[in-house]
Amino acid sequence: METNGLNMLVTEAIWRAEELEALGIRSELAWKEVSSLEEKLAKLHPASEPEGQIARRGAVSAALEASDYARAQALADGYLAEDGAPESLKAALREILEEDAAAMESRFPYASKHHSLREVQGWAGRLRASGAFGLAA
Amino acid sequence: MHPELPLSVASSMSERAALALQRNGHAPGVRLTMELIRSPAIAGISWPEADLKKMDQHDFNRVTEDGAEAVALVIAGRYRFWRVVRRMQRREHADWLLESVRDGIRSLVAFEISGVDKGNIRARLSEKCTQVSRSRNVDERWAGVVGFEQPAAALHACEDEIHGN
Repeated sequence: METNGLNMLVTEAIWRAEELEALGIRSELAWKEVSSLEEKLAKLHPASEPEGQIARRGAVSAALEASDYARAQALADGYLAEDGAPESLKAALREILEEDAAAMESRFPYASKHHSLREVQGWAGRLRASGAFGLAA
Repeated sequence: MHPELPLSVASSMSERAALALQRNGHAPGVRLTMELIRSPAIAGISWPEADLKKMDQHDFNRVTEDGAEAVALVIAGRYRFWRVVRRMQRREHADWLLESVRDGIRSLVAFEISGVDKGNIRARLSEKCTQVSRSRNVDERWAGVVGFEQPAAALHACEDEIHGN
């Protein structure tokens, strides 16, 4: 698909995710769609182009909004390793991950003190997906 | 005016602009006072009337914010000849990425918009300028604020303020 079509799709997807959030409805799936569209845009624009950098940051940010931390980290690792990725983009990607990690630590201070960030992210994702009370099978 | 703005998003924004104006007692044709790069202008603003009975189906703040986005994007298209490229995520510090093509040269514009249901728009404009000035990978950073009590809109080039140009 060409850039204009993808831009329209990502606009609609971000709008939908924001609408769900405003209504207090879980929006993880909507943000997953945003992340996937941003990733497609990133493939069309090299990291040296402004829109390529916006899409790469967007793919990682939206994966975090979707609580898909493994995907966010994998995307960031791939973008950080790209040939021609400017230092400013690399710094911005690290900043996004660090900000999210800091937010996670402040939301789950006890868990963060005693467990690794990856474990805390896993629990947070499960908590958001299934609510506070799990039912053992 | 904005061919890359999806119809579903445009319709939703337009309906909310109509609701934001009508809930303040305005009817199509009302005068909109504009400040474009510190130059005052006045225009009549018209819209297909919305059903105020549907107001409770909408979040109050989204009506103000999305309504402001509709009005500001119309002004940006009509007076600056900018076109929507895409919506931005909140970590980008702007609502929209727009493009301006002048003499065959394309520039990218980060545009942050906010709405004020009651009261003055000046304070919000400064707040939004501070926000959008953090936007990366663009050639220009602009803030727009729309007030609905006495219909008014201001568009401001934020780099001017930061660099004192």
